[in-house]
Amino acid sequence: MSLQDIALMAHLMRRAGFGATYQEIHENVSDGYDHTVDHLLDPNVSDGIQQDMLRRYHPDHSGGLGTAGMAFYWLHRMVQTQTPLREKVALFWHHVFATGYGKLAQGRVLMDQVEMFRQHGFGSLKTLLIELSRDPSMIIWLDNQDNHKGAINENYGRELLELFSMGVGNYSEDDIKACAQAFTGWTVSNAKYMKMRADNDSLWPYGRLNLHFEFDEDDHDGSEMTFLNETGVFNGEEVVDIICRQPATANFISRHMYNFFVADEPPVPQWPYREPRDPEAIQILSDAYFESGYNIAEMLRVMFKSEFFKSENVRSEKVKSPAELVAGVLRLTGESRKLTPKLQGDANLLGVMGQQLLNPPSVEGWHTGTEWLDTGNLVERINYAASKFADVNKPGIKEMIGRLAADAGGVATPETLVQDCLDQMGAISLSKTSMDALLNQASKTGKSEIGTDERETDEDILGELLRLVAATPDFQRC
Amino acid sequence: MQLLQISNVVRRQNKLTTTRTATDFLVYDRTLGVAAMEFRGFYYPVDLAINKEGRIYGLNRSHEGDPRGVRICMFDYDSNYFGAFGSVGEEDGQFTWATSIAIDREGLVYVSDEYTDRISIFDSEGNYLRKWGEHGDMPGQIDGPASMAFDNDDNLLISDHRNNRIQKFTKDGRYVSSFGKEGEGDGEFNLPWGVTVSSSGDLYVVDWRNDRIQRFTSDGEFKSKYCESGSDEGQLNRPASVAVDKSGHMYVADMGNDRVQVFDPDGGFVMTLEGQATVSPWAQEFLDASPTEASARYESDLRVALNARTGGTYEKRSHIEHLFWAPISVKLDLEGKIYVTDRNRHRVQVYRRV
Repeated sequence: MSLQDIALMAHLMRRAGFGATYQEIHENVSDGYDHTVDHLLDPNVSDGIQQDMLRRYHPDHSGGLGTAGMAFYWLHRMVQTQTPLREKVALFWHHVFATGYGKLAQGRVLMDQVEMFRQHGFGSLKTLLIELSRDPSMIIWLDNQDNHKGAINENYGRELLELFSMGVGNYSEDDIKACAQAFTGWTVSNAKYMKMRADNDSLWPYGRLNLHFEFDEDDHDGSEMTFLNETGVFNGEEVVDIICRQPATANFISRHMYNFFVADEPPVPQWPYREPRDPEAIQILSDAYFESGYNIAEMLRVMFKSEFFKSENVRSEKVKSPAELVAGVLRLTGESRKLTPKLQGDANLLGVMGQQLLNPPSVEGWHTGTEWLDTGNLVERINYAASKFADVNKPGIKEMIGRLAADAGGVATPETLVQDCLDQMGAISLSKTSMDALLNQASKTGKSEIGTDERETDEDILGELLRLVAATPDFQRC
Repeated sequence: MQLLQISNVVRRQNKLTTTRTATDFLVYDRTLGVAAMEFRGFYYPVDLAINKEGRIYGLNRSHEGDPRGVRICMFDYDSNYFGAFGSVGEEDGQFTWATSIAIDREGLVYVSDEYTDRISIFDSEGNYLRKWGEHGDMPGQIDGPASMAFDNDDNLLISDHRNNRIQKFTKDGRYVSSFGKEGEGDGEFNLPWGVTVSSSGDLYVVDWRNDRIQRFTSDGEFKSKYCESGSDEGQLNRPASVAVDKSGHMYVADMGNDRVQVFDPDGGFVMTLEGQATVSPWAQEFLDASPTEASARYESDLRVALNARTGGTYEKRSHIEHLFWAPISVKLDLEGKIYVTDRNRHRVQVYRRV
């Protein structure tokens, strides 16, 4: 098992999931890289989430009054799932099709949208966009309940083209109108009452009422239209089909995928004016899009197995989103393996760090990359990571320390000690500055007694080193 | 005038939906409560207890993201409100994961917390008196007190669910006995939840993850078991609570199937309750005070057909207001009326025997 194989596997698990433990990385390397990619994409693997336990202990997991309980639920899934890519892809689509609590005033319908991403987020983009257009939270979020025959509301039609599929510059204002016309009559049941409840933030009399899609044929404008140079009578499904056939759509979705999984791109509004960081990679993904019949899983498979994904140039290049950071820390420390109300504190911190799940700042979603790291957020993030590793009694930390002590075999140099710590934390690599600081610390306290019978000393020394690794700027990247 | 008109519409709707069930064994009676984060009302209620005077103590668990709702609300069958007590936390008189409530012969109120593993005791007006309970798996220690019931000697039975056993304590917390262990066999449990005592003294335990009800003598000797896993009539999916009436009929909160099932004394299926909630007096007051929202409500069809996406993990009951959504507790009053705590709808639905 080479160090290169371990480093590559760690890279994959950080990008296709939320990081992995030392043990998971080694098991995956034994299975092989391509096999691991295929396993991550296998829809038949169980996520291992115990829904009955969640429903028993956490009422708001199903009740979904607000975002807090839903953020708890989603974070729990990110931490506990055995299919991390499923949660990562749901998070990806939540970034792209950003839908927020502000106009919905209920968490449940938003979490149903996320569940829809889990179910359809790996399949055909065409199916996904149709499901998105039928999604009740999206309908209310972009006012499609006000999109009527003879009085169109362009909001959804415009964003479907601008932010969800093709990008600015690839369609006309007339195309927007035609697109909106195709979605007239796509609404929710009892739209007036549901919108009023959302506007009033009403949970009365008996909690939130979930929304569901309704097609009002009488309110649908079925007259002939011209859309993206095609003329005919088009409903929403036909419009989505035309959208999916466009090279612009392939490029736009490919660039989103690259930005989320490979390397940070500038914010979406700058895309019409700035070339992709790696045009060749975008072309490879676009080709996969058409060759697979718009299949997202196949695009992901091509991406994860590509040289541009494996390249040393993109490793540890991305800034972790708050969700990636927090879920990754909790997977390592193991502190929430057993259901605990304390996880709510971690879920709430996501908002403090700038990523309140289910409540993105706008329909554009979050700006990623270094924009996660304004001064306040960076301090919050580093303090969070370091504090989580301060308690050596957490099960994941105990396991790491146990392995470190055993591997040290009685005597450890500062160099091997630090390298072992980095391996235990998910085979992460450090800048020279961070490495020097850690070696300095290891030289001061490491001595040569690791792995002896002085367990308390081991825990103190190793726990401190793990905490210092978590406090490095490098730990903020993936 | 507008308020009056709306109220009349509501009352007409309530009357229309109060229909007899097919078997004429039980009829829907009324709905109590309204969603409310503080004071009068419910916020994820998980259990209730009724004292000899008919005062009802509704236990609100709330959720981690909004701790305001944690409290016990005192009210009665006629929707009179008598105040609330308790709050979130780990200090005396506070709860983190409140799970169940029971009343002893003196009228003292006992509340269990499955996070702190404590039993807190209050007087009938909600004044905190004392607490007991210690975390652990030794005899007399507790790991997750999910449900409580007083036996005919006024000892307290606790479903000590993470220890997979039922423990008996005196009212002041002295350990008396226990039975049960983890497993699927007779007298074994998988995270038991509801426990109750019949008028004959038999103990009924909801064996949550084994999807069954087990019946024991007052000494904890296994007598019989009822039901199996599933969603058909007579089957259970993660049941939470059981109540047994004087004739031995069992009323089971079949929470995973979002329904209450009724069984005869031998376990034979009698009927299913799906929920028939109407507008409670407290809910009516809200609607009277919110005429615009009430108007939009009455123009709506809240029993609309659902499309395919609402199955499975999407939880159909999140869309349909009058049906049970996570019915978590069933309790009887002295007259035998059946009170179903409808957790995710923040209310109680009441049924009565014909």
